[in-house]
Amino acid sequence: MPHYTVDEPIYALATPFAPSALAVIRASGDGVLSMLEPLFTGKLMKAPTNTAVHGFLVGSDGRKIDEVVIIKYGKGHGYTSEEAFEIMCHGSLPVIRAISLALESQGIREAERGEFTYRAFMHGRMDLTEAEAVEEIVKSKSESASQDALSRLSGSIRAEADSIRSSLLDILASLEVQLDYGEDEIPEEWVFPHDEVSRIISRLESIAATYDASRLYSSGASVVLAGRTNAGKSSLYNAILKENRSIVSASEGTTRDYIETECLIGDIPVHLFDTAGLRDTDESIEREGIERTRKLMEGADLIVYVLDGNEEEPSGIDSNALIVRSKRDITGASGSLSFSSVTGEGIGDVLKAIEERLLEGSSIASDVPRIDSERQRGCLLDAASALRDAENAVDSGEDVVAMYIQLALSSLSALTGAVTSDELLDRLFSSFCLGK
Amino acid sequence: MSDYDAIVIGGGHAGIEASLALAHAGFETLLVTQSPDTIGRMSCNPSIGGLAKGNLVREIDALGGEMGQLIDASMIQMRILNRRRGPAVQAPRAQADKFTYSRLAKETLEGTNHLHIFMDTVVDIISENGRASGVRTERGWTITSRTVVLTTGTFMDGRIFIGEYDAPAGRLGESAAIGLGDSLRAKGFHTGRMKTGTPARVKMSSLDFDEMERQDGDMPMEAFSFLSDSVDRPSLPCWVTYTNEDTHRIIRENIGRSPLYGGKIIGKGPRYCPSIEDKVVRFPERERHQIFVEPEGIGTEEMYLNGLSSSLPEDVQRAFIHSIPGLRHAEVIRPAYAVEYDYLDPLDLYPTLESKLMKGLFIAGQTNGTSGYEEAAAQGLIAGINASQLLKGEEMLVLSRSEAYIGVLIDDLVTKGTKEPYRMFTSRAEHRLLLRHDSADRRLTPIAARLGIAGSDRAERLRKKEQDIADICSILRSKRIGGKSAYEKLREPGVSAVSLGIPELCGYSAAVIDTAELDIKYAGYLEREEREVERSRKSENMAIPADFDYDSVDGISSESKEKLKAIRPLSVGQAMRISGVRVSDIAVLSVAVRSRERG
Repeated sequence: MPHYTVDEPIYALATPFAPSALAVIRASGDGVLSMLEPLFTGKLMKAPTNTAVHGFLVGSDGRKIDEVVIIKYGKGHGYTSEEAFEIMCHGSLPVIRAISLALESQGIREAERGEFTYRAFMHGRMDLTEAEAVEEIVKSKSESASQDALSRLSGSIRAEADSIRSSLLDILASLEVQLDYGEDEIPEEWVFPHDEVSRIISRLESIAATYDASRLYSSGASVVLAGRTNAGKSSLYNAILKENRSIVSASEGTTRDYIETECLIGDIPVHLFDTAGLRDTDESIEREGIERTRKLMEGADLIVYVLDGNEEEPSGIDSNALIVRSKRDITGASGSLSFSSVTGEGIGDVLKAIEERLLEGSSIASDVPRIDSERQRGCLLDAASALRDAENAVDSGEDVVAMYIQLALSSLSALTGAVTSDELLDRLFSSFCLGK
Repeated sequence: MSDYDAIVIGGGHAGIEASLALAHAGFETLLVTQSPDTIGRMSCNPSIGGLAKGNLVREIDALGGEMGQLIDASMIQMRILNRRRGPAVQAPRAQADKFTYSRLAKETLEGTNHLHIFMDTVVDIISENGRASGVRTERGWTITSRTVVLTTGTFMDGRIFIGEYDAPAGRLGESAAIGLGDSLRAKGFHTGRMKTGTPARVKMSSLDFDEMERQDGDMPMEAFSFLSDSVDRPSLPCWVTYTNEDTHRIIRENIGRSPLYGGKIIGKGPRYCPSIEDKVVRFPERERHQIFVEPEGIGTEEMYLNGLSSSLPEDVQRAFIHSIPGLRHAEVIRPAYAVEYDYLDPLDLYPTLESKLMKGLFIAGQTNGTSGYEEAAAQGLIAGINASQLLKGEEMLVLSRSEAYIGVLIDDLVTKGTKEPYRMFTSRAEHRLLLRHDSADRRLTPIAARLGIAGSDRAERLRKKEQDIADICSILRSKRIGGKSAYEKLREPGVSAVSLGIPELCGYSAAVIDTAELDIKYAGYLEREEREVERSRKSENMAIPADFDYDSVDGISSESKEKLKAIRPLSVGQAMRISGVRVSDIAVLSVAVRSRERG
């Protein structure tokens, strides 16, 4: 059961989860600074408390996520009075997501709503009145109560999780009966149900895998328009914006090297970048701009490479890039994917192609229910890994195997509700004839 | 001025521990029993311990209780159960000579300073300003005291059933305690009915032993008490036989004559210990059920038919007993019977076992809806300890779920209540790897020493054991076997300390070597469990005053508020375990508790 704690490392997005110029992610708890250190190029550990440090955040795969400013708080200094930091990053959804993932990979969990305030109060830090502290937690009720989390689950995943839970409960009951009754009463040896456990593990993992697809819909993708200067990138950018009425926001990029906007393509929220043209140049300022564009492309979910009309396809284009030709009204090239910003012809095809390419690789098998949060995915993978540990512990003793199966069930409890010992005993007594 | 410091009502397994704990603390204690002859009687099966229950006995002993020493001095067979199934779920069980056990219990009480035994039946508990101040008895005595411990077992309005026959009784042939239930109900105590049963006893010389399988105990016998190194007692065999189709047919044909199926008994019986008619009805596909034939003592011919408890009429009992191999000519000395009795809802208790309805009144044992001698004794000990803490004006003892099965037992009872007689199971504990029976002294004796109830010998033996374990570990670290230390080698499955053949270990007792070995083998798992426990420790340690005003906290949902007001948990941790209390309400509660602490 989730609960509010103190000192355990937690993080939360302090600004709304929406595209904006800047976002703030804060974290608090014992050891959070050293947990962040491997992800950050700035000299965080040496910096004095209450100071800002500039640098890059790097994902666990080594890729740069974003250029950020981090404010460091030693124990006793920040909002919660625990060791803490605040990350000021760019306010794009993919960046926020990548930072969240990186923090979780370091063992910092997402906070319950109101947990920072709770901690601030518990550490005697806050000047807020008790009433205010309570109010914030009360507001979070719908978010934190597990039954509400359950109702957010779609029917199919709920049913699937319940069925897995029930199978695990049967396995556990068949094991527990051995542990709670002596060998003279239950003489049969317990045999680890390898086949069934393997089936459950792969089921758990295939549900977890659906997360990549669903996160596309919830967190969005970044799409970069690239190509030579004057190839028609900006006209495609503007045409997409014109075509697509569901514009969330449009703002100038933080540098003059590219501009960015949020829009919906299909139902996918897309962070669309129009970049500076790629060309060899001696001018150092422009060279830097091109360098930044390259970085942007490296982090993109999809690169749309715009070619000028009948321009030859240059070598060195990312093989995963989507090639699109401009000026269809002039060249009349209708064979390949092309568009005209003047007539609007082909824009719909380009959008369709972008959507398809984004969905590629995140195939959604129809018989597997989908999940839509990182937390659910984590629970499923934790459960699978606990079951692997159970398999490996067969030689160590049945008490250890039972511990791991219990762990798997408790990992699933975020999706299915906790298993109480009473429920286990009910299962046990209804399945076995017991008692001398 | 009161007549006594404390009065303990009932001389069963809970009453024994409660009265000894009070008297050992120097308080003048009166034990009121309906019959001094039945002190420490084993009403049902003649055995102590078993899975989870054996752990309870060792925990009772580690806290200075008596049960471990009583069984060590009266056992007639001893086994360690589930040796193969993992150390966390192994436990000792012993058959007892029930007459010796009961006699020793009475002798121990009689030989204890400050402890007085008086034969009468308590019909009412009296109070002054809401605090228990004594008892009134059937023969008209009013005896005053500063605290009262109630341990009446199945005797409150007890009624026994054998087929069509039923009569008021606590045990067959012993009067029920009539009146106390009514006077408690009148005071607002919540009561309910529960049911349990016991099988027939048959005469040993009438049995055909060549038709049954012999089951011997372990040799050498191991002690329950951490004060004994070894046990030197005779070891008697038990016998195993099975029911058959004929048995089941007889039961099925007569099921209508059972008071249970006829609707005469309304109390809820234990699912884990069903009567034979229950087993036959609920599991019709089973061709046979196992029956253990166990001696009740050395100087008696009575044998206990474990697995054949029943409330069917005596002629039916005789018929189905005689259908079973080994029992075909069995002479029945005592019939099987069911007993239905009043229990007091344990939700009316704090985790200290003090009543929420009357200060200074502690309630323990089967009266709280539990079953089993061990569960009763464990509660009796805690009630006795806390009654003396109250008299001393010191903080009461509440064991946590991660330090003792006793903690799990009491927390479950007072937080969740119980609908059937509550028996301890290892699966009730979240962290059973931490609750091994061999580590009960390491977990609990330091607590007992702090409270001044352990006795210097217990503390000294624990110090020696810890020293031995440290020495054994350093010997294992210094020895190299196949390129690694013996310590590392021991972590491999299937390797035991004895199998390594290290001569330096010879001087140490097998029990201490076992404990060291398990610590090493399970080190990784134990650390993991400790980390889990640590996560919840802060909420467990955050105390809520008993008189906390939940109505003054605005943010808690009304549903949770009702539950919190009913249970009145003493810690945030306990509050979290109340079913249906929401996470966010717990957060609001902790903020409110903390802010009140700060004034």
